[in-house]
Amino acid sequence: MMPPPTELPRPRALLAEITYRCPLQCPYCSNPLELARYKSELDTATWVRVFEQAAELGVAQLHLSGGEPLVRRDILDLCRAARDCELYSNMSTGATVADQKMIERLREAGLDHLQVSLLDTDPEANDWLAAAPSFERKRAAVLTAKRIGFPVTLNVVLHRHNLERIGEVIDTAFAWGVDRLELANTQYTGWAFRNRAALMPTRAQVERAQRVVDEKLAASTGRLEVVHVLPDYFEEFPKACLHGWGMVFMAVAPDGAALPCQTAREIPGLEFPNVRDSSLEEIWFTSDVFQRFRGTDWLPEPCRSCDRREIDFGGCRCQAYLMTGDANATDPVCHLSPQHHLIAEALAEAEKPAPPLAFRVMRT
Amino acid sequence: MGESIRRPRLAPHARYRWDKVRNEHQLVFPEGMMVLNEPGKAIVELCDGRSLDEMVAALKEKFPGAEPENDVREFLGQLAERGLVNDAAAD
Repeated sequence: MMPPPTELPRPRALLAEITYRCPLQCPYCSNPLELARYKSELDTATWVRVFEQAAELGVAQLHLSGGEPLVRRDILDLCRAARDCELYSNMSTGATVADQKMIERLREAGLDHLQVSLLDTDPEANDWLAAAPSFERKRAAVLTAKRIGFPVTLNVVLHRHNLERIGEVIDTAFAWGVDRLELANTQYTGWAFRNRAALMPTRAQVERAQRVVDEKLAASTGRLEVVHVLPDYFEEFPKACLHGWGMVFMAVAPDGAALPCQTAREIPGLEFPNVRDSSLEEIWFTSDVFQRFRGTDWLPEPCRSCDRREIDFGGCRCQAYLMTGDANATDPVCHLSPQHHLIAEALAEAEKPAPPLAFRVMRT
Repeated sequence: MGESIRRPRLAPHARYRWDKVRNEHQLVFPEGMMVLNEPGKAIVELCDGRSLDEMVAALKEKFPGAEPENDVREFLGQLAERGLVNDAAAD
């Protein structure tokens, strides 16, 4: 194969979505709505080959995610493979199927970091949103992980049903002794876009939450790193999705499809190469889909002539498609977007009573 | 930054890594990484709970003629702000 062009960046992070199977049914899951279409999962040997290729390509950081990664029977082999490739490995887990023995084994297998999701600090609300009794199991898993010295991030996705308890979320993170707390407002793609009207907070909720976080952290003396990701619908400029399409990040879905972003499957008309057929290097440097929105040459106006074009690269492609029907459009979150009124309409909708939630299901 | 750190120690979720593809020193953490230069790497390696004075002395030995104290304080401040080092003296 020809040596890759040197001016192109190499990926730094790989998201390995090793399964879409999950015992929880969170209504803001980032997995595709058509889960059952992708049931054929890569085997252990193929994932190990992918990790090796990723390390050779320049990936430093591996995110093992899902679905629930712990439902894979080969999860310990996959952790060991990541360590053997000298990758920094993180696992995003619901932790409901992690007993003490499993957590100890993950540590022994070389997993560097555990990110545990919590839906709400109110056990009943947590179990309602997950559509499964899970609060107590999550708590037990986090406490066990900390007892054996595992670095743990608690991740709480924020929306209108739990934003009122953001202060309790911070208290819980301190009480459970985690190292990091991610307060991540819902990103409206995947199931979350479908449930947007049921999840979107009001402006008053968002402003109050920001005040509570600031006050709590100013008053705290403990050791906790808090990452608070603001909801982009309430901001002036869009997020640079994954530092730009095909710049530092790639994802591989359970069936082996290589994606520039884990939700890119929502954009119709894109063809995704598969790691069963091509190497990660070929996919990264030469596949059409990784070049489709890479850099700034493809940008529409007003992005093309904007000072911020290399800061946000036009924003999120999935969001542009979901909201405007055109994946080439400026992310409507941007106040300069000709379709910014769509955001204002969504926010106005959030001031009304919320419709019921549709829970994630994998129909078979 | 407020009080400076007395005994800097790398946070448990941060790991030093040599990247052989790019030939660079990296400090990797759950949601990202920092690319380190040689002095940065030397500082990170010394973040094991020893005192700031001991760290500065070790750096002077490694980089003769350097007066690293202010740079060390500034860099540790940046690392602490991102939760990548903490203070072993605060345990």
